[in-house]
Amino acid sequence: MKRSIITAIAGAAAVALALSSCSSSGGDKGNNGGKSGGAVTLKLVAADYGTGPANASQKYWQGIADDFHKQNPTITVKVTTINWNDFDTQVQTLIQNHQYPDITEGDYFSNYAQEGLLYSASDVLSNPGNLLPVFAKQGSYNGTQYGMPFTTSSRTLFYNKKLFSAAGITSAPQTWADVQTDAAAIKAKGDIGFGLPLGSEEAQAEALLWFLGNGGNYQDASGKWAIDSAQNVETMTFLKGLVSAGDTEPNPGTKNRTDLWKQFAAGKIGMINGSPALIPIIQAGGALTDSDWTSVPIAGKTGPLSSTLGVCDNVAAFKANKHQAEIKKFLDFAYQDKYQIQFDKEYDLLPATTSASNALASDPIFGPFLKALPQAVQYPSDTSWATVKTQIQHTLGTAVTGDPKSVLSALQSTAKKGS
Amino acid sequence: MTAMASGRRTINRRTWAFSLVAYAIAMIFVLPYAEMIITALRPPKELLDAGYLPKHYDFSNFTSIWKTGFGSNLGASLKIAGGATLLVLIVALPAAYYTARKRFRGRTLFLLLVLATQMFQPAAMLVGIQREFIDFNLSSPIFSLILVNAGFNLAFAVWILNAYFSSIPAELEEAAMVDGTSRVGALIRITLPLATPGIVTALIFTFISAWNEFIVSLTLTLGQPAGKQPLTVGINSYIGQYSIDWGHLFAGAAIATIPVIVLFAMIEGRVVSGLTAGSIK
Amino acid sequence: MALTALTAQRLVRRTGHAFAPLLWIGPAVALIGVVVLWPVVVMFHASVQHISPDGFVLGSAGGKNYSNLWHEPALSGVIWRTVIWVVAVVFVTILLSLALAQLFNQRFPGRRVARWALIAPWAASVMMTALIFRWALDANNGVINIFLHDLGIVHKLGSSQADWLGRPTVALVWMMIVAVFVSLPFTTYALLAGLQTIPEEVYEAARMDGANRWRMYFSVTLPLLRPAVLVATLINVINVFNSFPIIWEMTRGGPGYDTANTTVFMFIIKQPYPGEGAAMSVINFGLVIVVVVLFLRLTRWKEQVD
Repeated sequence: MKRSIITAIAGAAAVALALSSCSSSGGDKGNNGGKSGGAVTLKLVAADYGTGPANASQKYWQGIADDFHKQNPTITVKVTTINWNDFDTQVQTLIQNHQYPDITEGDYFSNYAQEGLLYSASDVLSNPGNLLPVFAKQGSYNGTQYGMPFTTSSRTLFYNKKLFSAAGITSAPQTWADVQTDAAAIKAKGDIGFGLPLGSEEAQAEALLWFLGNGGNYQDASGKWAIDSAQNVETMTFLKGLVSAGDTEPNPGTKNRTDLWKQFAAGKIGMINGSPALIPIIQAGGALTDSDWTSVPIAGKTGPLSSTLGVCDNVAAFKANKHQAEIKKFLDFAYQDKYQIQFDKEYDLLPATTSASNALASDPIFGPFLKALPQAVQYPSDTSWATVKTQIQHTLGTAVTGDPKSVLSALQSTAKKGS
Repeated sequence: MTAMASGRRTINRRTWAFSLVAYAIAMIFVLPYAEMIITALRPPKELLDAGYLPKHYDFSNFTSIWKTGFGSNLGASLKIAGGATLLVLIVALPAAYYTARKRFRGRTLFLLLVLATQMFQPAAMLVGIQREFIDFNLSSPIFSLILVNAGFNLAFAVWILNAYFSSIPAELEEAAMVDGTSRVGALIRITLPLATPGIVTALIFTFISAWNEFIVSLTLTLGQPAGKQPLTVGINSYIGQYSIDWGHLFAGAAIATIPVIVLFAMIEGRVVSGLTAGSIK
Repeated sequence: MALTALTAQRLVRRTGHAFAPLLWIGPAVALIGVVVLWPVVVMFHASVQHISPDGFVLGSAGGKNYSNLWHEPALSGVIWRTVIWVVAVVFVTILLSLALAQLFNQRFPGRRVARWALIAPWAASVMMTALIFRWALDANNGVINIFLHDLGIVHKLGSSQADWLGRPTVALVWMMIVAVFVSLPFTTYALLAGLQTIPEEVYEAARMDGANRWRMYFSVTLPLLRPAVLVATLINVINVFNSFPIIWEMTRGGPGYDTANTTVFMFIIKQPYPGEGAAMSVINFGLVIVVVVLFLRLTRWKEQVD
């Protein structure tokens, strides 16, 4: 009996080994040049914007991939989607391991361009001029555009009107002092005053919204790193006070936007910074009706912000697999207005092409956000931003429990250190 | 008479005390895994309810998980663990047999090498492993993982097999060879059947170790499609998606544990003797 | 003619004999060399190179990676934490395993079933066990919090007190508990194996000398268990030092680096700074070797074996 076990295991392992060599001898070799005239497989790695399996981005991209395949039977697009928490790490690992994708959609980093890994926008798009010009600089390196905007969004302050009236607050918060008093009042009623996601998913976004409120930013007006400027330290000190008074959720350095947005949708949080993508989550949560919440400009130290954070997610095309022609065909196909608009309606985000923006300009929901885009503040386009962003995501949360100045100074030296 | 009777009663009370304590401890060890299965059986709506048990039980996680690419992860794990086990079998058997039988030059060195590498852990050398396999540029990370898992389990397998072969008297093979069989023939026909328990133990240890391996798999397959990621990495990816898909995560973990339990059951009696042969010597 | 033929034959046989070992142990040596030994060399080499986050070697870095590592503000905390982590976890594991092995060595009904339950953490991967505990410690609905709330220890669900994994110090304590939990099966079985090699006659002799149960344990059992305890401790120290899944799955080393050990720290910084990650790996590796050598020296291993 024991003998047959060995034979069984050996047999199974042999079969498995044979199967694995069969499946990987297909067209998946990382550094193979595109076979001319033969079948080509493009590897697309995209970020997941969905809130559940029903609206996972995998479905959106697979739909485009299937439509594209019908028109171009020799090209197959393999879609992998990664959640935002892990997107940067996973793509960077792929690149470190030389397992290059062909196209990524999500974050783009100028150090990929610096190392010559990317095709330029004009290499892989027939009409690069259609991309929104306001985001061109953020995706450029040395004057050439490599990051192609795919979708954009802007941030506003959402608050729960039900909790506000229960706590006796009659007006929307406009300054930091308002936020503080309102959060304390809501906390006294047993709910979370302000939802502050400083966990590793998007600490860099939340922090920037607060920095802007005090006239600060990651870089100063001349483009030099200024993470530990006096204003920024003051901002983090204010947040630290908010946290220690218990006006936010406990231990914000370990909490992410996705969890807090769900809690806001469940009616447990008074105020939170959000984007239009929060709207479907609120509707799915079922606890708040449309009249129970509203969104206003983000509160700054002395008044509401006039220019919000404009976040732009980029497409990047990688040279390693030498599939330029096929990538161009796919991107021209995927950037059509109908797919842009489909994406925006699915996820309540904004388009990235001029033609799609014009199509949506008169839309009651999207119109106002689109108007604010040209003044939006963006992330730095420095080649060391990738490293700095990772460090911010990892350590910024400790500034509200530890010493803000030393955390920001450490980030400043990371930024100056480069890679 | 009375003294003897009370003596036996004391022994019985002690024995029952041992049973109770042992069962309580056994329960503690099983409790987390019971919680895993209970959570996997929670209907999605009741997932975040604060209570020990859900109001309803729902098998949907176990059926819907196959649509999330879990099957591909399972396939990848089978290839990696199976391939590593096969490779260890092919390489460790002859080495252990020869070391047990012959006092060749360099034998001590070889055994020392094997002992030393038992102390090397993949986690400690991760950067080296990653960069080395980048240079090798194998067509699939599955091959890399087969090699890594085989290499790091080889020492243990050689150690156990060496002990088993040493305990089988060489005279049996000598007798067969006198009758005209070659050394290899004697190995196959006489020694292997006798060493089967040790071989099975070594192979199953290797399979389980490769099946549950995490850090190297994570480093080499992060970002890859599901067909190239073993179960440990696949299950890990349920975190962060839609703020942690606990239902599918635990359903997947439960399914992934089944082969290990089956294999462990086959060798449970031998675990103690395997350890005696292997590490204590 | 015949003489040369004979010499030739003898030569072939002798070289054949010389090469024979290579045939049998060659593949094993090759596999170990390539997969286990060569990465060490690569690792040392990478630690003195300047490598971009995308994996491109940009030239030599001399000792810059090591000095950058030395100046990482989180490093001293990480190293201290690792020392505490290893000492506490191994100590508690060995202590509990001695007790458990003693218990499971007794004869009582259902011993086999109880022993089986002990295997559970061994069969489930460490990663899964860590995830189960993370789930059970959820601030709002984790079963451990519900249980502690029922006991009155946790005052309010969803509060900072219930958010064990959000507070670095208590998160570390919980993770150490998980580390002990997953180390107990192997260690208990190893000590059990050791106990079973102690012949019954030794106990008989001690009993006849009038020793009670405690004296028997300390004067007879423990000394005879010494080899098993030493091996188990050594293996545990190496495993626990390199522990990754528990911390990674429960807190990802956060907040910041406040719950990271050296392995988690190395894993995180090898992403943006591969050269520094390699330097941390080299230091890790060196520390393990130092600990092992010290351990063997201290316990006079050679004398044990001989």
